[in-house]
Amino acid sequence: MRRGGLLVAVLVAVGGVLLPTSARAIPAFARKYGVACSTCHTNWPRLNQFGVNFRDNGYRMNRERDNPVTQPGTYWPLAFRTTVGYQYLANTDVPVQVTPSNPNGLATTQTGTFGFTGLDILTAGTLGEQINFLVVYTPGLASSGFMTAPSLDGSDLESAWVGFTRLFGTPFLNVRVGKSSPDLPVDEHRSYWLTVAHQIYFFQAQGTAVTYNPGDNQAGVEIYGHDELSNLRYQVQIANEGGQSLFSANVISDPVVWAHLQYFMLTGGDILASFSPGVFGATGWQPAKFLNDPTGTTQVSGTGYSMQNYYRIGGELHFQFLSAVNPLTLDGVVMFGSDGGGLINGGVNADGTPTQRANWMGGFAELTWTPSINWTFGFMYQRIATLQQGSTDFSHAEGDFTAWSLLVRYYVELSSRAGVAFHGEFSQASTTTAGLPPGVGPPQGTTLLLAVDFAY
Amino acid sequence: MTPHRPLFAVLLGASALVMLTGAADTTPKPVPIDMPLANKGQAVYARFCVSCHGELGDGRGYSAQWLEPRPRDFTSGVFKCRSTPSGTLPVNEDLLRTINVGVFHTYMPPWAVLGEPSLRAVIEYIKTFSPKWKEEAPGTPIVIPPEPADDEASRKRGAVVWKNNQCEKCHGPQGKGDGASVPTLRDDWGFPDAPFNFVASPNRKCGNTNSDLYRTFMTGVNGSPMPSFADSISPQEAWDLVHYILTLRQPAGSEYNIAEHF
Repeated sequence: MRRGGLLVAVLVAVGGVLLPTSARAIPAFARKYGVACSTCHTNWPRLNQFGVNFRDNGYRMNRERDNPVTQPGTYWPLAFRTTVGYQYLANTDVPVQVTPSNPNGLATTQTGTFGFTGLDILTAGTLGEQINFLVVYTPGLASSGFMTAPSLDGSDLESAWVGFTRLFGTPFLNVRVGKSSPDLPVDEHRSYWLTVAHQIYFFQAQGTAVTYNPGDNQAGVEIYGHDELSNLRYQVQIANEGGQSLFSANVISDPVVWAHLQYFMLTGGDILASFSPGVFGATGWQPAKFLNDPTGTTQVSGTGYSMQNYYRIGGELHFQFLSAVNPLTLDGVVMFGSDGGGLINGGVNADGTPTQRANWMGGFAELTWTPSINWTFGFMYQRIATLQQGSTDFSHAEGDFTAWSLLVRYYVELSSRAGVAFHGEFSQASTTTAGLPPGVGPPQGTTLLLAVDFAY
Repeated sequence: MTPHRPLFAVLLGASALVMLTGAADTTPKPVPIDMPLANKGQAVYARFCVSCHGELGDGRGYSAQWLEPRPRDFTSGVFKCRSTPSGTLPVNEDLLRTINVGVFHTYMPPWAVLGEPSLRAVIEYIKTFSPKWKEEAPGTPIVIPPEPADDEASRKRGAVVWKNNQCEKCHGPQGKGDGASVPTLRDDWGFPDAPFNFVASPNRKCGNTNSDLYRTFMTGVNGSPMPSFADSISPQEAWDLVHYILTLRQPAGSEYNIAEHF
C-alpha cells in the first residue's frame, strides 16, 4: 500500500476508534422530576429498563406532571456534559521519513495531553401531551480537546428531532422526524466508554463508497413502538445515507432502512436477573454511476443511477446477572455486513476486472458490573474480520480490527441536579494494514484516559 | 373418683387460663418483617427512592423540598391509599398497587417496570422505617360489594349523598377541588393538602377504577383531611356517590380555563 495511504489508514483505522465519542445523560430530566440519575441510568450515561421505558414514552412519567404547562415557568430543560482530564495516546508503525537508522520508515508515536473529550449541550423534553423533542448541539473543539485525535473542529447538530407518541392511543405506534439515533443493541450515545466506540457500528469494507454508520445519528423518519413496560420494542428508521455528498435521482436519495426488534424479560432469579435477545439490520441503496457536468470531469449530484445494495444484519443477547438493580451485565452483539461489488473501488479492480461483494463479520462482548450506584467496572472485547474483500486490490485481512478495553468509573456525585464521575479507561486496538514490511504490525493504538466526567 | 380430683382441678384451671388468655388475645399480631427480603429492597430503595423519600425514609430526600406534594414519610407508618380501614396499616397488596401504578398528580412514577420481586423487596424495606410495623398488624381489607347499575337514579341518589356529607366544603360545588375549606386544609405533616379536582382529570391518586373510588370513600385517606365514610354511608350510598362523581368529569379540552392551572 502507498505510504500516504498507510498513514491515513493508521490514523483513521486506529485513531478513529480512539476518537472521543459523544455520550448522553440528561440531568434536566432529573431536575424536572426530582429523581436521581440512578433512576434512569444503571449508571449514567447507560440507561436501565426504567430509563428505556421513560424515553420510549416520549420523556414522560405519565402521571400528569410531564407537560410544559405543569412545570414552573423558570424550568428550562437544558443540560450539558463534558469530560476533562489527561489522555495518553500511543500508535505503533506510524510512517515517518526513511533514514539509515530507520529503513522501514516506521515509528511509534506517543502523546500525553490535558484537555477534554468534547461537549454536549442538550435540551429535551415534552412539547405537549403527545409531542416530545431532543436537540443536541456539539460545538467544535478546534484546537482544544486532547489535541491528539484527527480534527474535530466542526460543530454539529448531533440530534434534532420532534416525536409524536401513542398515535391512535397505542404505545406501539410512535413517530420521530428529524435527526435521531438508530435504536442500537447497545446504545452508542449512552455508552460508558469515552475513548473507544463500538466499532461494529462504524466499520466499513475496504474501498467501499458506503458511508452509512449505524452508530451515527441519521436524518430521517423513525417509527417505533413498545408495550407498556418496554419489554417488547421495535424501531424502523428510514433515512438518507449519512455522510453522502452525491445523491441518486430518486424521491429518497440514497435511502437506508434500519430495523431493530428487542425483547426484555425479568426472570426474578438471584443469578440470572434478566435476559434480552434481539435482531437488527439495515439495508440501503446507493448509485454506482452518475452523469457528469458539461466539462465531463465532475459527477452531478441528483443524477445517480445503477443503484447498488448493501446490507447489515445481526443479533444480540444481553444478560443481567446477580440483580436487575445493580447488575453484572453481559452484552453480546454480532453483525454481518455486505456491500455490493459496484460500490467497491468504483466497480473495477486495478487490473480492470470487475469487483465483487465485500463481506465482513464482527461484533463485541461487553461486560459491565455495577456493584452499587457509585461504581462501574467494564471490559470489552471487539473483533471484526473480513470474509471476502470486494476488490483484489486488498489483501484478505486488510482492515480487520481487534480491540480490548477496560474501564472504571466512580460516581462521586449523583443527585437530582448533577452528576460527577471519576473515569479511568484503557484501550488497545489494532487494524490489519497493507504495505508494512514482513513481520511488522499490525499497527496498534493504545489509549489511557484519566478524567472527570460531569453533567449538569 | 376421689383419687382423680386433684388432677381434674389442675386440668380445669389450666383450661380456664388458656381460655382467658386466648380470649384476650384476639387482636391480629404484627407480621414480622422479612429481613432477607428487606435487605434486597435496600438496594432498590437506594437507587430509586432515596432522592425523594430520604435515607431515613422520612420523606426528606434531597429533592423533597422541590416537590409538591411532598414525598411520603415512611417513619410515621401512615399510608394514604389502602384497602384497610381508616387509621390502620395497609396490606402488602396496597403498597404494591401504589408503587406499581405510581400516584397521579405527584412525582411518584409508576415502577412496574422494575418487576414484582424488586417491588416486594422494597416494600419490606420500607417497613423498617417505622416501629408501627412491629407493633401493629395491617388492617383487614374491606369488602367491596359488586357495583350496582350506573343509572340516572343512582347518580341522583349520589348527588344527595354528596350534599348530605358536605363533600363540596372541600371539593367545591362542582367538584373542582375549590371548596371553601381549601385554605385551611393541611395534611398530618402540616403541608397544604388540596382536595381532588374531579372535573379536570380522570386519574385519581388512589386508582382509576370505580372500585378504587369506592374504596377511598370507605377507608379514607390516612394522613389527609379526607375521612372515611364507612360509618356514615351505606355500601349502596357509596356506589351512588361513585356514579355521581363520575358525572363531574368534563371531557378533555372542554371549558379549559388556563388560569386555574397557575
